[in-house]
Amino acid sequence: MLVIRSERIRHILGTALPFAVMPALVLLLPVGVQAEYYALVSFLMVVLALLLFLSGFERKELGTRRMILVSVMTALSVIGRLLPLLKPITALTVLSALYLGKEAGFLVGAMSAVLSNFIMGQGPWTPFQMLAWGLIGLFAGIVSAPLRRSRILLYGYGLLSGAAYSMLLDVWTTVWTYKEFTLHEYAGVLVTALPYTVLYAVSNLLFLMIFTKPVGDKLTRIQKKYGL
Amino acid sequence: MRTYDAMNPAAVAVQLLLTACITVFCMEPLLLGVSLCCAVGCFLMRSGAGHKGFHLFALGIPLLFALLNPLWNQHGTSVLFFINDRAITKEALFFGFVTGLRLAAVLYWFRIFSDLMTSEKLFYLLRFLSPKLALVFSMAVRNLTLFRQQMRKIQAAQKGLGLYREKHLIDDVRGGIRVFSVLITWALENGIVTAASMTARGYGTGRRTSCTNFRWKRQDAVLLLCTLLFAGVVIVCISRGSLDREFYPVSVPPEHGFCWYTAIAAYTLLALLPVLHEGKESLIWYRLRSGI
Repeated sequence: MLVIRSERIRHILGTALPFAVMPALVLLLPVGVQAEYYALVSFLMVVLALLLFLSGFERKELGTRRMILVSVMTALSVIGRLLPLLKPITALTVLSALYLGKEAGFLVGAMSAVLSNFIMGQGPWTPFQMLAWGLIGLFAGIVSAPLRRSRILLYGYGLLSGAAYSMLLDVWTTVWTYKEFTLHEYAGVLVTALPYTVLYAVSNLLFLMIFTKPVGDKLTRIQKKYGL
Repeated sequence: MRTYDAMNPAAVAVQLLLTACITVFCMEPLLLGVSLCCAVGCFLMRSGAGHKGFHLFALGIPLLFALLNPLWNQHGTSVLFFINDRAITKEALFFGFVTGLRLAAVLYWFRIFSDLMTSEKLFYLLRFLSPKLALVFSMAVRNLTLFRQQMRKIQAAQKGLGLYREKHLIDDVRGGIRVFSVLITWALENGIVTAASMTARGYGTGRRTSCTNFRWKRQDAVLLLCTLLFAGVVIVCISRGSLDREFYPVSVPPEHGFCWYTAIAAYTLLALLPVLHEGKESLIWYRLRSGI
């Protein structure tokens, strides 16, 4: 239904959205929109960004094999829970993005959020989680070449994306709690959520350290064996 | 008799999401109270008694927030008393209560949403967006159970090999990682096999048709129209500012004019749609049965 037919417009949207939506969401809205509508507008923008991105997928020539591998990686990242609270979603999303491409990364991240929320509980935060994890995958796919070459950069990306994930969700927490978004309140929420931010960042690093070698090898092997 | 969860998922999703969203973005205590009552009603109607833990948790939130908010929030003018030289104000107490009310109502609505909108219904809705994506999503859901079963098999095999000892944390984690690693290898190979079998059966060669169990009937159209009408009235009233309430420094209720009453009435009807539907259906059922 919501399919954009023109190749060029889709390409422009696909690259512009992540770079335009995020800064706009965080910085411009409190200036441009009345405070009481900020929650509504930011919620709608996130949903819209997701819809636009996901609808573009219909026209993508991803290939049957790659499509199946996306669903496999999604399911793996949801059930691969070693301890409660710690899930390898970010690590596996990043690894899928590195080996299967940026669209695959976005999808694995966004779908893992929905699926894991079937277990943990859906809520108004689901679209934010979908976008946050999706973007982590998308960016990893965009800068995949250096990340694949250097392990240090990859670990850095893991730490950074854990922090970014937590900070993006704190935007929602701020909007939800205070019905408006000011930097002062946002800072307060950031400080309160600091333990979680650290937990996310460190667990990402840990999972990347555990998974990069084996999962990377396995994905490379599959690619070589079946010529993806 | 067509129960509410047998209705078309599109209509049900629109009704539940609009009801929940209005709750999220409104701070009028009466509307939130109505929302919470209707949500509890819908939940009880669907899930019956039980779920004591959830009720206790959700209904305790308003009280908890009312107690906690004044401790941090010093706004407001009517001071009730002092704790450690910090003023506890009536306004902060009230604001905490209203915030908690909102959270409790939203928790109930999303619990109902999770119960009603099972993954196969979401899959049906996703088809409108992109059939390909819906396929990937449904395969991921199916993979969850498949991988759990496979994980159990791998665990049994590992135990048989004597590599896996329970009741020991480090061994447990290392065993878990090993099992997961085996699972990844198996899952990727299995995925490729699935893809090969799909290609062999002609996937991706031409246009595909699809079949679904969910029909669009007149009842669904009526439900959707009612939803849009009631929600539209509430949203118009909210955007005109007739439900805006100042909490600080003094709690000022909005003017209780025509708009206010209309909004509350429309919202009550919107939130009660599931109950009204089930009531109507069981009434018809009862009358038909007694006529025989």
